Amino acid sequence: MVPLEYYLVLSSAIFCIGLFGILTRRNALYFLMSVELMMNAAILNLVAFSLHWGNLTGQTFALFAIALAAAEVAVGIGIILALYRNFGDIDVMDATTMRW
Amino acid sequence: MVSAFSYVPAIVLLPFISFLVALFGRENLPKKGAYGGIAATAGSLLLSIWVFFSVRGGTVHEETYYTWATGVGDQAWELTFGALIDPLSSLMLVIVTLIALLVHVFSLGYMNDEGETDLPRYYAGLGLFTASMLGFVIADNLLMAFIFFELVGLCSFLLIGFWYRRDSPPSAAKKAFLVTRFGDYFFLIGVVAVFTTFGTAAFAGPESFPALAEQALNGTVDVWTPGDLGVETWFTIIGLLILGGVIGKSAQFPLHTWLPDAMQGPTPVSALIHAATMVAAGVYLVARMYGFYVLTPTTMAIIALVGGFTALFAATMGVVKKEIKQVLAYSTISQYGYMMLALGAGSYVAATFHLMTHAFFKALLFLGAGAVIIAMHHNENMWDMGGLKNKMPVTYLTFLAGSLALAGIAPFSGFWSKDEILYEAFIYGLNDPILLTGWIFGLLAVPVTAFYTFRMVFLTFHGNPRTETARNPEPLGWNVKGPLSVLGVLAVVAGFVNMVPVQKLTGVELDYLTQWLDSGAEGLTYSGYNALLAEYAGYEAGVVAGSETTTLLIAAGLGLGLAVVGVLVALSLYNVDEPVEHTDKLGGAKDVLYNNYYQDEFQVWLSARTQDVAGVADTFDQGVVDGVVNGVSSVSLVGGDRIRRIQTGIVGNYALLLTLGLTALLVVFALLGGWI
Amino acid sequence: MTNPRLPGVAAVALFGVLVAVILSSAGGFGEPAGFPADESIVHNIGYALFDIDLGEIASEGFLAAFLIIALALDVALDSAVYLAKQEEDGSVVSALTDGGRDVVDTDGTLSADADSSERPPTGDSGGEA
Repeated sequence: MVPLEYYLVLSSAIFCIGLFGILTRRNALYFLMSVELMMNAAILNLVAFSLHWGNLTGQTFALFAIALAAAEVAVGIGIILALYRNFGDIDVMDATTMRW
Repeated sequence: MVSAFSYVPAIVLLPFISFLVALFGRENLPKKGAYGGIAATAGSLLLSIWVFFSVRGGTVHEETYYTWATGVGDQAWELTFGALIDPLSSLMLVIVTLIALLVHVFSLGYMNDEGETDLPRYYAGLGLFTASMLGFVIADNLLMAFIFFELVGLCSFLLIGFWYRRDSPPSAAKKAFLVTRFGDYFFLIGVVAVFTTFGTAAFAGPESFPALAEQALNGTVDVWTPGDLGVETWFTIIGLLILGGVIGKSAQFPLHTWLPDAMQGPTPVSALIHAATMVAAGVYLVARMYGFYVLTPTTMAIIALVGGFTALFAATMGVVKKEIKQVLAYSTISQYGYMMLALGAGSYVAATFHLMTHAFFKALLFLGAGAVIIAMHHNENMWDMGGLKNKMPVTYLTFLAGSLALAGIAPFSGFWSKDEILYEAFIYGLNDPILLTGWIFGLLAVPVTAFYTFRMVFLTFHGNPRTETARNPEPLGWNVKGPLSVLGVLAVVAGFVNMVPVQKLTGVELDYLTQWLDSGAEGLTYSGYNALLAEYAGYEAGVVAGSETTTLLIAAGLGLGLAVVGVLVALSLYNVDEPVEHTDKLGGAKDVLYNNYYQDEFQVWLSARTQDVAGVADTFDQGVVDGVVNGVSSVSLVGGDRIRRIQTGIVGNYALLLTLGLTALLVVFALLGGWI
Repeated sequence: MTNPRLPGVAAVALFGVLVAVILSSAGGFGEPAGFPADESIVHNIGYALFDIDLGEIASEGFLAAFLIIALALDVALDSAVYLAKQEEDGSVVSALTDGGRDVVDTDGTLSADADSSERPPTGDSGGEA
């Protein structure tokens, strides 16, 4: 058996890579991809713990989360479309109207 | 038999009612309130005369009318309104009501007949003043006296500024009020000090504060003193504090500057308030609490010195004045200096005597000046007058009587009273150098007084008329000449009530006033004061050449002689057909005298310095206090302004903040929760 | 923000904190329980779906969840298709509006209506305190 902490470190690494992408990327699609990465890291975490406790609940939850991630991407695409229609470009740095 | 004493409140309330009637009746009243005032003061006069005769034989009446505050606990003081009727106050009541009545009658001629407007306000002011002054006279405790003291000051303000649409009267009224108020500030502190020290401010009775003060000096009673101050020093300080108000009100140096400017008011007001009654309030107050003052020789010496100095100081200024009322104003300051000298020298009777005679002859002179002003169509400059004696005989004769009294020529009233003052100052001064200095000042003022008085008489009435108005003066009615005649008679005969020199020389008993003031309540009599003087103040009468008669003759002779000299100098210089301004020969000194030794400028300068101090306080208030308050608000304003800049609208920034926050939180939990 | 590298550093810092926490509590996890070695989970889910009582891992309780998952995926697919849909003449049709004005034309370029007034000026925009 692979010890649990390997899975956890892996999942945190993927999470931070996704976070890095969110913080630095300007293109909205890359932003969305990074969000997906973070979600997958969390799902990985779930599966790891399902193995650790020997309970199928974790894996079921992970499947659920994947399906929800897909739905959320649909919503995200909608937001990107609105961003494009209002600002003419999908650069997230352009949308700064709600500021002081 | 109805007692006169039960009508004492009516004496004060009658003029007050005439004040209310004039205030609310306004233009609807006949003669605009004059008849009301005349009726009220006549009623008060009759009641005062009745009270005067009831006091004969030494009956004293003391009654508390109203207790308006009661203390609780240890120091249960009571603040009351009450009356003290004894020989001194009943005498003063008669004087005040008589002169008030004569001034009201005179006002018919000066104000009503001259077509003045706003007269209801004038008569209301006169009524309120008379009521306040009478209230002051009957006061039986120091706080009530203070309250009425301030009230008369207020009425003086209102009446000086009667013609407020011009520039100078409101300014003069403000000056009078402020200068006297400055003195009254110390007076108030003195009243508080009296209450704190003795627990009572009553003037008379075994529990009065003069009696307690004497017992404190004896050592039989313990009174409160601040810190480690000795009892006598503390009493001296209290006396000096109260003296502050007296100096302001009686226009002594250095608070004399308001009185000449107060001549901006109508002349009857000047006669009533600034000659005979209100300025007498200060001297009357000292006489009222004389039992307290005689215990402290230092205060007495200061009073005598201030009085003597003021007498000479004001007399020198009166010599160069051009307007008739100005000469009389400085004369008033000077004569009150004499009264203060008398009080300081221990002669309660001489001071009261001079107060009485001065009230009569100074009111007479002011009313006479008013008559002249009416005749000259309100031109007050003496150099525009001349030759009026032929056209205005009644005025001239009464004015002459008053002037002779003022100059101190026997047998007119002023001679007897002034002579007694100088005599007492002399005999006590032989053993006390400060009193002797006061006497010398007073003596030097005698010829100067006589000189400026007769300069005034000769310039106004003698010689050739110098202007057209003087050739054809306005005729006067009997409402002007009547009061003048009454006062003229009084100016001649009032001196006969206390002819002490004649009594000393011939042995005939003629000192009615002394006997009058010797009766009354214990502790308030003349001999009582003399005993205290000898015991606590160490006053001892001296003699010259070993004989009292010689001393008397020397003192009286000097006084009379110097007065005659002054009259003769004025006679030679000014009793000519075309007098010239001889005072020009004084050169630069004349400028100093004409500008009143620059005392007015000095006081203006002092008040400007006070304004500077106030400016510093204002800067502190604006800068520090307001600065702190504004600073507190700016903390929130500036803080908010800075913090809102976090909302940049850039998603990446928000994500970064989230990340950093999460990291920090994790670190904190890790450290605290023992995860690491 | 102030430092352009800060976002990246923040992510790395977070990674560092997480790893530190995980590794320092590594001893406290205990032995993983795991699943029965030879069994295939997918086979077991299939047995449950078809109501065949064959496998060792109990998975009946999760059937409702699997069906809902399938439903959600179906919905996501349909919504993606709908969002990408275009009109016959090429204009984008959907509930997305911008308040009545098209900034982008059908061929994807900025329309004539697009002007920089839509964007906020780079200075202060009505932010007076």
